[in-house]
Amino acid sequence: MNMELASYPYLSAILLSCVAGLLVILFIPREREALVKWVSLAFSGIALVLSIYVYCAYDRTLGGLQFVEKIQWIESLGIHYFNGADGFNLPLILLTGIVHFTGVLTMWELRGRVKEFFAFAFVLVLGVFGFFMSMDLFFLFVWFDVSLFPMYPLIAIWGTTRKEYGALKLFLHVLAGSALVLPGIVYLSVVSGLRTFDIVALMQPGAFTPGQQKFAFFLFYIGFGILAGVWPLHTWSPVGHVAAPTSVSMLHAGVLMKVGAFGILRVGIFLCPLGWEYWAPLMAILATIGIVYGIFVGLTQTDLKYVVAFSSVSHMGIVGLGLSTVTAEGLNGAVFQMFAHGTMTALLFSSLGYIYDKTHTKLIPDLGGMSRVMPMASGYFIVAALAGMGVPGFASFWAEVTVFISALKVYPVLGSLAICALVLSALYMLRVVQRTFYGQRNERYAQLPDVSFSLGLPRMILVAVMVLFGLFPRLMLDLIQTAVIPFMGGLAR
Amino acid sequence: MKWFILGPEIYFLTVTLVFLILSLTHLNGRRDFRAALFLAALGVAVTLATVRLEGSLFHGAYRVDLYSQVFKGLLSLGFFLVVCLCSNLNGIDEWRHSEFYLFLATCTLGMMLLVSSVELLTLYVALELSSYSLYALVPLRSGSGQQMEAAMKYFLSGIATSALMLFGLASLFGATQTTYVAELALKLPGLLNTPMAFVGLLLTLCGFFFKLALFPFHVWAPSVYQGAANQVTAFLATATKLTAIAMLARLVSMSHGNTSMAHVLIALAIISMTYGNLVALIQKDFKRLLAYSATAHAGYSLMGILSMNQTGYAAAVFYAVAYLAMTFTCFLVLVKVAPNGSNLGVVQLAGLHRRSPLLAMGLMVGVFSLGGIPPTIGFTAKFLVFNAAMERGYFLLVLIAMINVVVSLYYYVQVVKAAFLLEPDEQLPVIKLSAPATILMVIMIVVIVVGGIFPRYLFQLTQAAIEALL
Repeated sequence: MNMELASYPYLSAILLSCVAGLLVILFIPREREALVKWVSLAFSGIALVLSIYVYCAYDRTLGGLQFVEKIQWIESLGIHYFNGADGFNLPLILLTGIVHFTGVLTMWELRGRVKEFFAFAFVLVLGVFGFFMSMDLFFLFVWFDVSLFPMYPLIAIWGTTRKEYGALKLFLHVLAGSALVLPGIVYLSVVSGLRTFDIVALMQPGAFTPGQQKFAFFLFYIGFGILAGVWPLHTWSPVGHVAAPTSVSMLHAGVLMKVGAFGILRVGIFLCPLGWEYWAPLMAILATIGIVYGIFVGLTQTDLKYVVAFSSVSHMGIVGLGLSTVTAEGLNGAVFQMFAHGTMTALLFSSLGYIYDKTHTKLIPDLGGMSRVMPMASGYFIVAALAGMGVPGFASFWAEVTVFISALKVYPVLGSLAICALVLSALYMLRVVQRTFYGQRNERYAQLPDVSFSLGLPRMILVAVMVLFGLFPRLMLDLIQTAVIPFMGGLAR
Repeated sequence: MKWFILGPEIYFLTVTLVFLILSLTHLNGRRDFRAALFLAALGVAVTLATVRLEGSLFHGAYRVDLYSQVFKGLLSLGFFLVVCLCSNLNGIDEWRHSEFYLFLATCTLGMMLLVSSVELLTLYVALELSSYSLYALVPLRSGSGQQMEAAMKYFLSGIATSALMLFGLASLFGATQTTYVAELALKLPGLLNTPMAFVGLLLTLCGFFFKLALFPFHVWAPSVYQGAANQVTAFLATATKLTAIAMLARLVSMSHGNTSMAHVLIALAIISMTYGNLVALIQKDFKRLLAYSATAHAGYSLMGILSMNQTGYAAAVFYAVAYLAMTFTCFLVLVKVAPNGSNLGVVQLAGLHRRSPLLAMGLMVGVFSLGGIPPTIGFTAKFLVFNAAMERGYFLLVLIAMINVVVSLYYYVQVVKAAFLLEPDEQLPVIKLSAPATILMVIMIVVIVVGGIFPRYLFQLTQAAIEALL
């Protein structure tokens, strides 16, 4: 893999903008709530601008790892502070920037303990950014846990339905995942005999025997798979999503679940390609079950947030299916699906959050005819629901098509099963849309205001991003391709 | 002047004399506290000034090297930190304050002598000096009878373990005909397959397992943690653990990677962390919870020692430093929150985020550090220990330890939940922190976080100390 050293540490600047945001917020008196929000917006804006810059400035003809920053951290153990950007992580860095920025805007009306909320949110996003850009296993793990632990207070303090239970369940599940990841990481570093945690150095062929790769890949698949919502390890995810406050659901379903999937890719697939090939059939089966299961359980839910949460399980199954094909197209589609699902689910939770804030209910039978009460808010939800069904014109369409084409080639039965299930998903999304936004209007909510322009801004941004990459998918697919082709070409077969 | 290398010991001997004299004069708690604070701060300076000294005294029975000096520095720091907690020493009657400081100083002195002893009898005498000081410290608390129960438990189990240890020392001498650690280290590896030497070494270790509250020597810990005054518990939970890890590393390193010894230690480590964490799950009292978590942490830190390689010992020492920082932070919060020096239930932390946001944040950082969540020093310590164990191929041990970490998070989260989420039944007043207490709290938070992010220099220091040991 060729490496381009950074002329300016843009990647660290993204991390620093999060740290700076956190520190500034800590020194603002807790009564100055508006100031806290503006500061959060400013620093998340800086991070967004930087991530857009890095995304655009990446040299696609050159490929490889760019914007590389490498500093020795602990010599005797071979730990480096090592960041880099390639076609795999750039879409996700961009996604994190977008979701955090829109998340801050979505929470603009938050009341009570504002300072702590935005401080914890910065810690979470810091961990996610760091995880995506890190090329050192030690730091990767550190960022992984940094992104996880703020989830507990964020859900337990500001959440809603069964918040303490949901927060604790989520927290213990995902950290149980990290209990498998850490031994796996240390194991790889020790058995390689290289005394390093540098992913690029460990990627050299022959660093691990096939047996070691199979063993380690399994650890990473389960460990990261819990966070990625792989069936049957997903049980924390609907409960956690439902309990979380709006922007935390956005960050969590939009970004954190991708952390899990990306962990499987960056650690599992990168370092243990033979293990990947060995376990691919299992991954495919679990992913297909996840897709089908998510849709069927979603069909029976009466709580809007549960519907969206189970659709996340289903859509993350598509990511898993893409990864399990062991083909270039599959990988490409999986990474694109991570991005597409991130924006889509963020929009779903964001528009749903507005409706819940106003009506204080998210039960489908209680709502109804919302499109006449809040046409804009309903519009955003319907757009996101359409994207979730895979309607052409949105980014998820291309992602799902790419994944399913490659899946049909490799696993004809499972692939066709998944496609059939996806047709059903249209049914269940339409059912929700019909019952919630059309039909008999509930008079209790007739006087509620529609979403204002300023509050609508985050939703507009998300719609714009989905449409942009839906109309011009090559903006992203080509970028991912620059990483996928050399990687698949380099695999020893 | 070769006596310079005994600087810290001589200094702390003087401190004990000062408090002996103060205890004979009329009582004045404020004066005692100020004197203790000044003397403790000076003690840190004196000890740090002698860090680079090396030498040997008393016919080779007493060695001063980087290893011992690093630990003396940490002990004097621990002494200073515990004295910092005593500004409001209302768990102990005022007329006993100077005695409290006196025994605290003799205990520190004993532990300083201990980490430098390289001869078994010297070692035993130093150990008993520190132990007897602690036996006297535990019942100092005023009020109900629970401190007497704690003191009896501590004393009886303590002397029983001492007897075991003496038996072990005798066996070691019988097997090797020497009491010098350096000679033992040469003779033992060949002899460890004989029962006498093996059992001798193991029983010798028991004395320090007791200090570390490792299973099955943990039985005293919950009652003593709960029964002793908060400041005494803080000292027990920090300084004695440091010493125990230092001595275990020194004694285990004599066996030169003997696998049977490693297997015994692995078994103890696994049982200890599992038992400690499982029992901690149901604790309601914060100090009891910390006692069981100490048993679990004894298991984790033993993982570094049982790896029996240089990174392992260094990791164990790093773990001891990290444990000092994070446990002290928890006790700092406990002492500030507990009204009139009483015990503190976990639910009594309710509403802390409004009563004192800084304390709540410090508690969260300290507790998450104990739980091993990055980027804290507690995570880095665990990582180093696991790395060392993995180098010896103990994959399952690491996996079990990680699962234990997740189990332990449950009760650590309960503490965080109480501080950030629960609301007290009645309105409790805001906790006013004095300026020094605020600064101390901020320093502890910074140390825990920065120690987690930049462990490099601390780790290099521990490695250098271990090189001096081996």
